[in-house]
Amino acid sequence: MASYVLKRIGASVLTAFIATILVFLVVRLVPGDVVAQMMGQAGGEAAERSVRAFFGLDQPVYVQYFTWIGNVLQGDLGTSWARGMPVSDMVGSAFMVTLEIGLVTLMVATVIGVPLGVISGIYEGKAIDTVIQAFNLLGLAAPVFWVGLMLLVGVSSLIGWSPPLRFVPPSRSLADNFAILVMPVASLALLQAAAYSQFVRQNVVSALHQEYVRTAVAKGVPVRLIFFKHILRNVMIPIVTFMGLILIQVLGGVVIIESLFALPGLGRLLLSAIETRDYPVVQGALLVVVVAAMVVNLLVDLTYRMIDPRLRVQ
Amino acid sequence: MRHTLRTAFAGALLCATAFATVPGALAEDLYGPKAENPTMGGSLNMGILVEPPGLDPFHQAAEARIVVSLLMYQGLFYEGAGGEALPLLAESYDVSDDGLVYTIKLRDGVKFHTGQDMTADDVAYSYNYIRDPEHGSPGAGDFAIIDSVEAVDPLTVKFTLSSPNASLPMTLGNKYGAVVPAGTFDDEGAKNKLNFQSVGTGPFKLVEFNPNSNLLMERFEDYWEEGAPYLDEINFAFLPNSASMLVALKNGRIDLVKLDRPQDVEQVSGVDGLTVERWASLNQKPIDLGAETKPLDDVRVRQAIALAVDREEIKNASVGEYGKVIGTMPAGMADAWGVPTADLPNMTRDVEKAKALLAEAGLGDGFDLKLTIINGYDWMDPAAVTLKQQLAEIGIDLSIEKVDIGVWINNFRSKQMGLTFNDWASQPDPNLLFYRHFHKAPEGADFRNWNNDEASQLLDDGRAESDPAKRKEIYAEFQKVMAETVPTIMLFSADHVTVRDEGVKNFSQHPTGWYYGLVRTYLDE
Repeated sequence: MASYVLKRIGASVLTAFIATILVFLVVRLVPGDVVAQMMGQAGGEAAERSVRAFFGLDQPVYVQYFTWIGNVLQGDLGTSWARGMPVSDMVGSAFMVTLEIGLVTLMVATVIGVPLGVISGIYEGKAIDTVIQAFNLLGLAAPVFWVGLMLLVGVSSLIGWSPPLRFVPPSRSLADNFAILVMPVASLALLQAAAYSQFVRQNVVSALHQEYVRTAVAKGVPVRLIFFKHILRNVMIPIVTFMGLILIQVLGGVVIIESLFALPGLGRLLLSAIETRDYPVVQGALLVVVVAAMVVNLLVDLTYRMIDPRLRVQ
Repeated sequence: MRHTLRTAFAGALLCATAFATVPGALAEDLYGPKAENPTMGGSLNMGILVEPPGLDPFHQAAEARIVVSLLMYQGLFYEGAGGEALPLLAESYDVSDDGLVYTIKLRDGVKFHTGQDMTADDVAYSYNYIRDPEHGSPGAGDFAIIDSVEAVDPLTVKFTLSSPNASLPMTLGNKYGAVVPAGTFDDEGAKNKLNFQSVGTGPFKLVEFNPNSNLLMERFEDYWEEGAPYLDEINFAFLPNSASMLVALKNGRIDLVKLDRPQDVEQVSGVDGLTVERWASLNQKPIDLGAETKPLDDVRVRQAIALAVDREEIKNASVGEYGKVIGTMPAGMADAWGVPTADLPNMTRDVEKAKALLAEAGLGDGFDLKLTIINGYDWMDPAAVTLKQQLAEIGIDLSIEKVDIGVWINNFRSKQMGLTFNDWASQPDPNLLFYRHFHKAPEGADFRNWNNDEASQLLDDGRAESDPAKRKEIYAEFQKVMAETVPTIMLFSADHVTVRDEGVKNFSQHPTGWYYGLVRTYLDE
């Protein structure tokens, strides 16, 4: 087990390293650099040159890269060019917001989506299945930003309430945090719950048609036991895979929802950094996204081995 | 020549008795009109669509930084709405006869947010810091005209210039830099520290700044002007999305906001309890005609385009009623510095004359031309379509290319632009407005490849002249040359449009778009 984990971490580090090179090059390919953006139609050439040198942009790209990666390896993500703040602080606080949105969305989507999928699978073709499938279709078809906007405008005109504008972490006030997150999470969870439910349904249906289930039924095994031991256990692997996918998707940025509800998350940070060509922040934020995705994948893989004993023998 | 707050104001009026004494203190001109019986205290929530990247007035160039940082940081002068620089941290100033030495007397009893008293050493430090290119300020170029800044005594400071420059006071305003305690930037982490703690002399001081969330300021108790400001707290909420902004406004989460898009204004006009107000602005939306692209190098072609343009129609298509058609001066400066459009050539639409000019230039059969517009500038799309129709009437087939702002800036600055819409503003001074954009290289940037000797000479004269009446004549002459030879066709100034809850009282919007008016705002609830 330990050697497996080490191997996986080794591979992840290599992938992350390649990703940093790609990110570093790609942000520099976007036309218009930070200095041009800062100066706009003002300033002069001398001032511009000095600002350029100040940011190290007068150096060759590979020198810039090795300076950056050297600092990253020492735990220093650098300073934002546009804001003058340490990148690690900015990315860190934005990541905590997005992580919270991700985890809560995942929880809500799981709590709603999995039971719906199981029920719909077990009662395949019945009225309740049709109702749940209609919900799935609606959730999958409605764009997240539209759901968010409708919630915001609809609730506002119905009861004259909209979420507070200042983000409050749950550690400071759980109630305020809830008020802020209820609409964005609801918008995101609708889609994810629908996708989840649809996915679980398919897996349940196919498990029901497996021979071992039919055998168990024929042997007279109690329904509860068939469900938990034979169906759910086999459906668990795809469920865990799906959880990982949802989390990665949300961590990777929910830009529109974050903008709509004024949430200071990673997606919004990344977008504003790209707009202002704030390279250190783009690099830092993407690095965190890449690492987070890898950690989630690793956790998913390890969970497989806990659920499915066959994977432990290698 | 001695200038004081009062004489400066008289200068702003540009009357014949420019230097006579005007009775009564005119301190109310700073930051907007004073309130009669303001309610003190309270916390105002203001919405902001584009948030400041950071709060450091020395190293942050973004307009979104300027609009709010001037509540915490002050320069020596204030950009009077009439176009004259009014003493702010300065009290009065003398100019030497050769126009090279400005001796500035400082206001007594000014304190920094850190508790220290402001002295001439701090002033010298601040302006010497920002003008040194080594320090990486994007504003350094604005201060390149200064040769030295020295403290004469604790309340007197001497600026020596390399050549006479009448807009020095306006340059020492509040766009870049500010007076901060000497040694502020000695510490390596100082720039970032300014995002957590303000060190200026302004009426409000920083409480917290959370990127992508909010900026909270509180009243500075030791502020030098008695009785100001009225509010205890201002919270700026950053909402990048106008749909969310309108919802927050209707639900009372936001008390005040400046909106940019007419369609957003339409949505809240007529809502109970909300008041929409319009204010003259200094921005301008022109067509720039870069002479680097043929056939725009031919002045007759540029004149023909000017004669084919119907400004009113373009303005109506772009911003509806929320703007003002202009000639050669942004709306906010037109009264003080503008020439009536009736006195300028190529201002009224004349399709026949335009066709004749094109025929004379050998282009009577028409030609293709490309117009560049910028992503994210909503007004440019309808304006481009309208312009295409207008130019079609004189045989020009306009193709429209839309690019990102980064690409646009690169092309514009490297003079590979040709025909484009532009959108810009400056402080309310004709030298700051025109010099860099229109003077020949290398002194100016001459972005439009205009290369006009007469205009450049007038810009030099206007900059060196300190008598306001003579300056006005020089810049009037400049505007005539500009209208005649058409390096740019100024179309309109979009109004600043603010929406406030009815409890918000006495707010006024400064023509720069900066939020000076919050110093005189109070809440009546």
